[in-house]
Amino acid sequence: MKRALALGAAVAVALTLPAVAAAHATIVQAIPATQSKIESPPRQILLRFNESVTGSSRAIQVFASDGTVLSGTTRFTEGGRVVVAAVSRLARGSAYTVRWQVTGQDGHSPAGVYTFGIGVKAPPPTEAVGASGTTWKDDAARWGLFAALALVIGPLLFRLVILRGAVPPALEHRFHLLTTVAAFSVINVGIAAFVIRASNALQLPFGDLIYGDLQPFADKTRAGEAFLVMTVGFATIAGLLLLAWVFDRFDLRWPALLLAIVLVSGLSLSSHQATEPNSSKLSELADWLHLVAACVWVGGVVTLAFCVWPLAPELRRKAFLGFSQIAVVLVGVMVLAGAYLALARLPELSDLWQTHYGQLLLVKSGIVVLALSWGGFHHTFVRPRLEAGEQPNVRPSLVGESLAALAVLLAAAVLTNGAPPPVKPSSGPTVAPLRDSR
Amino acid sequence: MLPKAEIAHWLAASVALLLGLILLAEVIVGPEVFGRRRWRAYLWPFVALVGGLGLWVVAIFSTFSTMHLVAHAIWAESAMIAGAVQLAVVRGKLTSPRWSLVTAAALFISGAAFLVHEQNSWLFSRSAFLHHTIGWSLVVASLFPLGAALRPRRAVWSTGFALTFVMLAVMLYSDRDAAPIFGHFEGIVSRR
Repeated sequence: MKRALALGAAVAVALTLPAVAAAHATIVQAIPATQSKIESPPRQILLRFNESVTGSSRAIQVFASDGTVLSGTTRFTEGGRVVVAAVSRLARGSAYTVRWQVTGQDGHSPAGVYTFGIGVKAPPPTEAVGASGTTWKDDAARWGLFAALALVIGPLLFRLVILRGAVPPALEHRFHLLTTVAAFSVINVGIAAFVIRASNALQLPFGDLIYGDLQPFADKTRAGEAFLVMTVGFATIAGLLLLAWVFDRFDLRWPALLLAIVLVSGLSLSSHQATEPNSSKLSELADWLHLVAACVWVGGVVTLAFCVWPLAPELRRKAFLGFSQIAVVLVGVMVLAGAYLALARLPELSDLWQTHYGQLLLVKSGIVVLALSWGGFHHTFVRPRLEAGEQPNVRPSLVGESLAALAVLLAAAVLTNGAPPPVKPSSGPTVAPLRDSR
Repeated sequence: MLPKAEIAHWLAASVALLLGLILLAEVIVGPEVFGRRRWRAYLWPFVALVGGLGLWVVAIFSTFSTMHLVAHAIWAESAMIAGAVQLAVVRGKLTSPRWSLVTAAALFISGAAFLVHEQNSWLFSRSAFLHHTIGWSLVVASLFPLGAALRPRRAVWSTGFALTFVMLAVMLYSDRDAAPIFGHFEGIVSRR
């Protein structure tokens, strides 16, 4: 027994003693650098890895914007740590795409894509040559993200502002479950959306995508930066909500709600309203208000239909009347901010029916009108009956309004992923001439 | 800026070691003595919850491959959920011993994520060897909380559970990617 213990301890010590080490094969230096703007055409593309790698003679390929391959045979130098490909016919005033794939010491084949510009700003990797652009998967993921955000913010605000004080335990439990699951869903759907977005540019089969280099998308795009901040932020929110549940510390919901509202700005700061040539601080603010108001409205309607109505009949009147008051403000903010943003993106009235983006906006507006009419019906006909002390059965109608509200989010997701028609820069300072989509 | 993988592994190892020592202390002195200070019971679930939160930070630094991003996300989420459920058990919000099944599921899923994210064979490299070892250890260790859910009073479950984290700490401290699989032992063997 003692010998076995001694042997086990010796193995443990031997394993933990320092020895030669290397990480997974990742790029530590790229020349020209990822997303860089250089002044003169390079003669070669150089990638330095953290360990020696191998690969084919086409491990690095450089593409012009028309898809022409401008790179020659790839060489592996410095013991395989440096990979070089000669390039020719690169010209000032153009942006180029670099695609690479090598095999590391661990046998995995990481691959990646990045861009650089000569005398011009490089486009984001999502607009690299060969990238597919957004697909229905992006729309589905964005819809899921919007819905999850609404189910964090809406129920939290409902509980903290409209239903302050004690509520039945079953309803409290539903609030905890709904908001916590939604907070984790924001993270998980966010990861899915990020990977789908990167895969559109990487264009790798699934077996290679699992080793795809996502760093250019995480570090060099606004959407990537927003993803990183939102992931850690919503993990913190999930932690706060879990602690609120375990220790009955309902005041922890306040920082969770405020943090969630602030983090929603991550989507606004990486959307068209922040990256189009005529975007401004005002358009970013309008987009954020539009999104927050929509989240509160959709989440509030769902809370009313699926939490309060079935679980707390005694609170239906208070909840409905309280939400009804807030909803008027929410609708006002949504309509005003939405109208301003539509004008910014579509300055000509004819853009509404002549461009794909405009047509999507018309469809979204139609669904919004339907959902708001539904809400207006509740406000006009149900509210007076509740005020009079009646108990009308409006749950089916509330469920219907919830579904219409979720359909609005779907339309918003498709619209956000769509490309608005080109617009002229505003007179103020402008952002990148090339779009960092979303 | 990308921190070295070893730093993240050693940080995770330190958290695992802390967890293991807390759990081992409870096994050695017994639940009655350990529970004389109420806060002690909250220690390991709280460390798991906060450790899970820290793993999200590691996850966002793991964008060098899709597989690593997803795997770290799975570990982070598993730790947070298992820690929170166990906190609720200690607090008395959840009373059934069957809630240990959540910890069992978290260990099993984490182990499976280790095995899936390591695509090489056991002896390809030290990291491959350790990822397989950790993966299978966690999968097998999920039997301990499973046993605690079905037969709560047996000390073997809590002992096995505690030792799992001590072992996990040793293995994570050893995780040096492409280093020789058995470290300095390999030199000794080759000289002979």
